[in-house]
Amino acid sequence: MHYIWKEWKENIKGKGLWLAFALIILVSISLLFRSSALSFDQGFYIHLINLFDAFVYFIPILCLFLGAFSLFQEKEQKTLIMLLTRGERFTGFLCKKSVAIQSVLLGPTALWFFLYLIPLKFYFQIDGAAYLAFLFTITSLILVFTQLGVFVGSISRSRMQIVGFVIAIWFYFFFLHDFLLLSWLSNVTYDNVKLFSSFYFLNPLQAARIYLESAFGVYSFEHMSKLLQSFMWLKPSLFLIGNVVLGILFSFGAGVVFQRKEGSQ
Amino acid sequence: MKKLTFLFFIMSIILLSAPRSSLAEDDLQQMIDALHDGDTLELEDKTYEGNIIIKKSIELIGKKGTVIRGDESGNVISIEAPHVKIRNMTVSGSSMNRNSSEEYAGIKIYSNHNVIDSVTIKHSFHGIYLSQAHHNRIENSHITGLGKGEIANQGNGLHIYYANDNILQNNVIKGSRDGMFFDYANRNEILYNSISETRYGLHYMYSDDNVFEGNTFTMNTGGAAIMHSNGIKLEQNEFIFNYGHKSFGLLLLSSRDTLIQNNTFFLNQRGLYIDQATGSLVKNNRIIKNQVGIELWASSNEQIFTLNEINENTIPVASLGGEGRNSWSENGIGNNWGRSFPMIDLDQDGIGDEEVRYQSSLHQLIEDQELVYLFLQSPAIAVYEKLNQFLHKEKTMFTDPYPLVTKHERKQASLILIGVLAISSGLYIYRRYKKRLL
Repeated sequence: MHYIWKEWKENIKGKGLWLAFALIILVSISLLFRSSALSFDQGFYIHLINLFDAFVYFIPILCLFLGAFSLFQEKEQKTLIMLLTRGERFTGFLCKKSVAIQSVLLGPTALWFFLYLIPLKFYFQIDGAAYLAFLFTITSLILVFTQLGVFVGSISRSRMQIVGFVIAIWFYFFFLHDFLLLSWLSNVTYDNVKLFSSFYFLNPLQAARIYLESAFGVYSFEHMSKLLQSFMWLKPSLFLIGNVVLGILFSFGAGVVFQRKEGSQ
Repeated sequence: MKKLTFLFFIMSIILLSAPRSSLAEDDLQQMIDALHDGDTLELEDKTYEGNIIIKKSIELIGKKGTVIRGDESGNVISIEAPHVKIRNMTVSGSSMNRNSSEEYAGIKIYSNHNVIDSVTIKHSFHGIYLSQAHHNRIENSHITGLGKGEIANQGNGLHIYYANDNILQNNVIKGSRDGMFFDYANRNEILYNSISETRYGLHYMYSDDNVFEGNTFTMNTGGAAIMHSNGIKLEQNEFIFNYGHKSFGLLLLSSRDTLIQNNTFFLNQRGLYIDQATGSLVKNNRIIKNQVGIELWASSNEQIFTLNEINENTIPVASLGGEGRNSWSENGIGNNWGRSFPMIDLDQDGIGDEEVRYQSSLHQLIEDQELVYLFLQSPAIAVYEKLNQFLHKEKTMFTDPYPLVTKHERKQASLILIGVLAISSGLYIYRRYKKRLL
């Protein structure tokens, strides 16, 4: 709790957190005005999918930066060294720090989307389960990319390194991962489609999108071909949960193993 | 003996006075049978037991809570006489048996000139079934199926079989196998219906000269599938959010001379999917924000695309399977391709000064691999296209020789022209001023 409070106080002094929230609020409101012409019944789903499509462009990179700089600040201000000399283990520190950063990001985001329901109610017919699925999707993206940011902060020695790593990770998930799969696509057969599918769902952006669309019932997985049936060898929700768990564990583990305690400007 | 007689007497009274499930059914059927042609029966605000067969030209009018509940063994209401009218009631409980020789429905019509108005149908295999029935009107009715998980176990919202000259209007169909199924049905008018969460909103086989106007097809596996049919008119319909894997707004398969005019195709996996179709005129439609705007197979020939707004689709047009003989303009008027294809119109005639040509490398992947649809929303698609552009693996998807320029683009081009003129004039004045100083 102490870590969360400290993290909150540090973040509200900086610009990063405010920028992230301002973007989320601005995009949600502007898209709501644009979607107001949609039908009352189905407009809700279309609006949430449009919102997700917009968030995909900035939530990952913002979370990466926020996670990375938040951890790096502990190195810059020498608080990390002080904590470690007092007997705190790095694993424990990273765990508490991760929980603190995630809470500071997720808490106000959840609060905003709770308030956001009020204007939504005026425009559309609300489907509570679909809205929860949307929140779960956004939460998953924040969890995975913030934890990856924490990993970047843990292994970086300078702010420049952080910028380099973050852009590389963002570029990989945004472009390169799918590009590699697209290049592989012509060789995908019934025999290797499960392997292909595993790689496909390692991308949190794709796992989140498929989960969201299937949870809304707009992306139907009924009457699938044999190939597609093999591709979807788990439920979309399990693919997303697996992705989040793996992403967090990997980032945390790698952050502990490849940590660099010293940082410079 | 006396005791036995007394016991028999008591048992008979008990048996006769016990409510029988068929009593109510007999009641409604008896009430109907007692009517004469042209009579009207006003039903009460209660549940009547079916099934019933109507053999006289009568009118049945229900109230808000009037329900006719079938015994799940056949059709709930069978209409065998002409000029029957049924209004304001709920019908439920037809047989769901898929192995019987007959396909059952909430209301099955075998005759002509009937009207079904403001009827709600639930828990039935088909909603309303027109079997060799002509000149009927089905309107303002709500048909609800079993939902998406049960698509294979149920029938269609409206099933039109060998039935001509009917009008189907203002109906709402949700969660059935196909919203409307047409089989050998000609010259019907389908107006302002709303169909959602079905397999195909409209499934259409071997039926000619029908008119579809103002209908909305949303969140179906496929919006409308028109197959093996000629002379169909589709005007002012909305195909929205038909979004599943390989879904489509409108499929034309082996159809001839279809007119597709003033429709909206918005947020579909594929807006228009045309295969083995001939002579369609696709005019003045809005094809916006689909994954693939138009998927056109080479087996389709002589389609004309003119005056359409084809904008903000991930892939505007995918021409697959080779080159077909299709035209992207008519009488010197092409289509509006939006901001993806910026163009200039210096002569201000509303037609771009150069042709629009779209090339893509995705055609082979789309032809060979169904999983490619999973990537269409990925930003990596743009990178893939760019890279293949350098490797010359592209193929021309369409060439529009007379692309339309929107007012916004014209305004933008004018502003550019004014800007260029202003800068040139400024430079000219500056140079003259400098010369004077020298």
